[in-house]
Amino acid sequence: MPVSRLDLLDPSEVARLGGIEIIAQEVVEGFLSGLHRSPFRGFSVEFTEHRSYQSGDELRYLDWKILARADRLFIKQFQEETNLRAMILLDVSRSMAWSGSPLRITKRAYADRLVAALALILLRQRDATGLITFDEAVRQMVPARVKSGQWTRIVRGLLDTPDGRGTAADVALQQVTSLISRRGLVVLVSDLLFDRDLALTALRYLRHRGHHIIVLHIMDPAEVELAGPPEVRFRDSESSASVVVRPRELAGAYAQTVAREVAAWRTACRRHGIVYHTVRTDFPFGLALRLLA
Amino acid sequence: MIFLHPLLLAGLALAAIPALLHLLERQHPPEAEFPALRYLSEAERQSARRVRLRHLLLLLLRTALLVLVVLAAARPILPVRARGAAGGAEHEPTALAVVLDNSPSSGVMVDGRPLVERLRAAARGSIAATGADDHLWLVMADGVVRRGTRETLLAILDSTRVLPRRLDLGDAVARAVHVVDADPLPAHEVHVVSDLQRSAFGSGRVVQTPHVRVLILAPAAKPPANRGIGVVQVANGVATVPIVGTAGTPPGAVTVRVGSQVVARGLGAPGTAVTATLPSLGDGWWVGEAALDPDELRDDDRRLFAWHDAPAARVRLSGDPGPFVTAAIAVLHEGKRANDAGPAPDVSFGDRMEGGRSPSHTILIPPGDRAMLGETNRALLLRGSAWRFAGPATPGLIEGRSELSLLDSIPVRQRYRLERIDARTGSVSSDSMVLATVNGEPWLVRDSSTIILGSRLDSAWTTLPTASVFVPFVDALINHVARGEAAIAFAEGSVRVEFRTRGSDTLGVTVYGPDPRESDLEPATPGQVEETLGAPPLDERHFLADRFTGSRRTDVSGWLLGLALAVAIVEFGVATVLR
Repeated sequence: MPVSRLDLLDPSEVARLGGIEIIAQEVVEGFLSGLHRSPFRGFSVEFTEHRSYQSGDELRYLDWKILARADRLFIKQFQEETNLRAMILLDVSRSMAWSGSPLRITKRAYADRLVAALALILLRQRDATGLITFDEAVRQMVPARVKSGQWTRIVRGLLDTPDGRGTAADVALQQVTSLISRRGLVVLVSDLLFDRDLALTALRYLRHRGHHIIVLHIMDPAEVELAGPPEVRFRDSESSASVVVRPRELAGAYAQTVAREVAAWRTACRRHGIVYHTVRTDFPFGLALRLLA
Repeated sequence: MIFLHPLLLAGLALAAIPALLHLLERQHPPEAEFPALRYLSEAERQSARRVRLRHLLLLLLRTALLVLVVLAAARPILPVRARGAAGGAEHEPTALAVVLDNSPSSGVMVDGRPLVERLRAAARGSIAATGADDHLWLVMADGVVRRGTRETLLAILDSTRVLPRRLDLGDAVARAVHVVDADPLPAHEVHVVSDLQRSAFGSGRVVQTPHVRVLILAPAAKPPANRGIGVVQVANGVATVPIVGTAGTPPGAVTVRVGSQVVARGLGAPGTAVTATLPSLGDGWWVGEAALDPDELRDDDRRLFAWHDAPAARVRLSGDPGPFVTAAIAVLHEGKRANDAGPAPDVSFGDRMEGGRSPSHTILIPPGDRAMLGETNRALLLRGSAWRFAGPATPGLIEGRSELSLLDSIPVRQRYRLERIDARTGSVSSDSMVLATVNGEPWLVRDSSTIILGSRLDSAWTTLPTASVFVPFVDALINHVARGEAAIAFAEGSVRVEFRTRGSDTLGVTVYGPDPRESDLEPATPGQVEETLGAPPLDERHFLADRFTGSRRTDVSGWLLGLALAVAIVEFGVATVLR
């Protein structure tokens, strides 16, 4: 693996190399160099040309007629249209500004970089891309555009949105549904620490309106595997509620609870045609982006 | 339960450490931010019951672990009630007294070997089963309560033989119980190994104490029938040989010998007697022997006897001896127990000391006239007597020495106090002896050849003359006491005769032999044993099994450490596997 492939390095290492723009560009460069085709396919595509088959190409794009006539391998290439409208919804609630270890970046920092990279990829494909940040309410909105400077506006929107407070996603998502008029791709980036049923109601509504929805469940590794001192008082930064636990003796039950919660999200999303992925903040950005490809 | 290191029990305070740590940790846990609190709360809600149970279990296990380790360090010693083991040194420190009955009856042959060997082996087993912490006593037929170490007492046992002494089991066991009960050790036992013959149970009774266990070994087999020779009495030239032993035993052949001469043969069964007329051998002391055909108990099949062959004393009454003395001498004369005085009387009997050619011995009673008392005292002084009549003394009852015990409890109304002359000067005559007293004061004394009575032998002075023992008393006075002879005594011991002499004169004789009660080998019933000794007899198996069972002990620290290890393993499992 080349060292220049920032998309495959540890996110915390990558984050130390520069600001969001630089990191996102480098990640995207690395990510795209590892691909031999477009990561996203639009709703309508037109054939443009052939090229020789290269190892790793999907067989579904193989031109079987040429293979039959000339016994040569050619791949059909398509020209994507720019009619994809993508809106990225980023949860900036207080819980996102947390890291389980000083060696890792916060969920918010990870999500910012992931969103910037994703927006850059979409915009390079000349897809109209926008950004909405929310906590208990919508904090920032960058309408979906494809014109030059759009990515800078999205990055600026990320930088200008401070860490929020508590999360009442159902209210914010209801606001979001009214802000997204044309159908397209909706990517929700959140730690999903809010009421699942209420949030799903809003997502179902978007889906009902024809949106293609992808949910990226951002999780810090410390939220997946409970660890800590023998006894500790854990406090919720959003609700200020606290509980005294012994992490070692509760780790098993906690892991089961998290697994159940993830499974519940995955099941509910699948039932409503929503794509659901969990993304740990120690995943390289490239791996997270590949989930969307 | 006792502890070898009781001070270490203070370490039980360590048992509070788990609870204290639990409380201290609860008070100041570190605080941390954790956004996924909803997952945590849900996990805790679902596992709260299991976690509480686990906490409680861990607390109990850790507390138990500390308690077990501290208890093990304190080396607890537990009494064990298990039966079947033959003692051993693993018992609580015990004060043990072993009563070994090696009286003559233990010499009986049972199953081809002396019974005493079985008894000695049982006693040896009890002592050998003791440890260094035990205190030991050994009581045998000689009545001596010996204390010693295990090795010392085992050596004594190994050299022990049948003793010619009767053992009163009640007394012996009571002494043993008393000795061990006074010992400070926590356990007390008395082991009785005896043939439990019926006649060994005298008047003694064991006072039962809850602290002392009495274990009695029952006879292994019924003893054989036995005959023995009792104490032979000689009177008027005839020896009476009583046959003693177990009732119902058939008669056996009895032979009476004097020297090598068989003087009589006969058949005798227990409860009967064989008489033999002894030959007249002239003046002096003579020894004979009565013997039975041998049986299973040899020690009582032979017994010696002695008698004194001497002519009756020639008695002369002097002064006014009173009508009762005169009548008694007349009776003895008729019975050839007294002879005419003639020119050389042996004994002068009266209230006056004779001068000139005086007889060999004088029996002096106080004069009836008090005015004559001074003259009588002067005569005593001239004779060199160490005694004199003093003033009147208080009435009372006579207490006689062993050979004159027939005088006991006879009232004396009037008497003179007998006073030692040499008591004033400080010199003590070795020939003087008090033969009877009244109120603790001399009443009948012997001083060399003079016998002095404190009362006249008259019914106004004492009831003795009207008592049935008067004539025998006068007989003893003139034929034995005046001559300085003592009665023939009988004592327990190996069969023999011992003479008491003074110069060339023989004063008396002691005939030794086993106690006639030893010949009756019939064992006591279990009820009699329990009533007297406070515990029933046990057969050998139960005797061996019950030894030290009240005090058998075991060190359970190893068990506790094993249990602690098991608890530690369980704790580790609960703390890790069941997390």
